[in-house]
Amino acid sequence: MKSLLLPHKYKLIGWVLLVPSIVAGLFFMFVTELPFSPKIWTIGYFGQEFLSQPKSPIRLDKIELIPNLISVLLLIGGLLVMFSKEKKEDEYINQIRLNSLQNSVFFNYILLFFCIIFIHGIPFFHVMIYNLFTIILIYILRFHFLIYKNAINE
Amino acid sequence: MNNKIKVERAVNNLTQEQLAEKVSVTRQTINAIELKKFVPSTVLALKICRVFNKSLDEVFSLEESD
Repeated sequence: MKSLLLPHKYKLIGWVLLVPSIVAGLFFMFVTELPFSPKIWTIGYFGQEFLSQPKSPIRLDKIELIPNLISVLLLIGGLLVMFSKEKKEDEYINQIRLNSLQNSVFFNYILLFFCIIFIHGIPFFHVMIYNLFTIILIYILRFHFLIYKNAINE
Repeated sequence: MNNKIKVERAVNNLTQEQLAEKVSVTRQTINAIELKKFVPSTVLALKICRVFNKSLDEVFSLEESD
C-alpha cells in the first residue's frame, strides 16, 4: 500500500523547527509587543478596506514578520514530525497513527465546542489562532505517548 | 482473537526480536500481538505462520466476542 509518509530523517528536521516555534509561540502568548517588529512585503488577500478608500482585496502589502514566520515554521515542523516514518514503520505503528489522528480530531473539536460556549469577544480570536495548531499538537503528543507507553509496558 | 505465538516461539526457540526480524516488524508489534492488544493483518499473520511452519488456524483462533 502506498504511504504518504516521508523518510525518517525528516522527523529530526521537524523537531528542530517545531520545538523553537512552540517556545516562541508561547512567548508571544504573553508578550505581544516587541521592541522591534520587522515587517515584510507580501502579496495576498487582505480584504476590502471598510471606511477608507477602497483598495483591491488582493494586493501587495506589509505584514508582521515574526508572528507569521513562527506560524509557518510551527506548521512545517509539526507536519514533518507528524508525517515522517518511525525508524521501523510497520502496521502496528500505522494503527497507533490512526488512533492518534482520531483522538486529536475528536479532542480538538471537543475543545472548540467548549471554547465556543465559554469564550466570547476578542479572546475568541485567540482561540481561533491556537486552534490552527491544536490537531497537530494533540496528534504529536498522543502518538508519542502511545509509543512510549507501549515501550514501557513490556 | 487468540494466538499461540508465545508458545510457538518457545517451541521454535525464538525471541520476540528474532521473530520480529523474520517477519519485518518491530519487537513491540510482536509483543502487542502476544498481549492481544493488536490484531495483525492477514499478510502478517500468514508470515508468522510460515516462520512456525504451521497453518493459520493452528496459530490464530477466534474468540467468543469476535
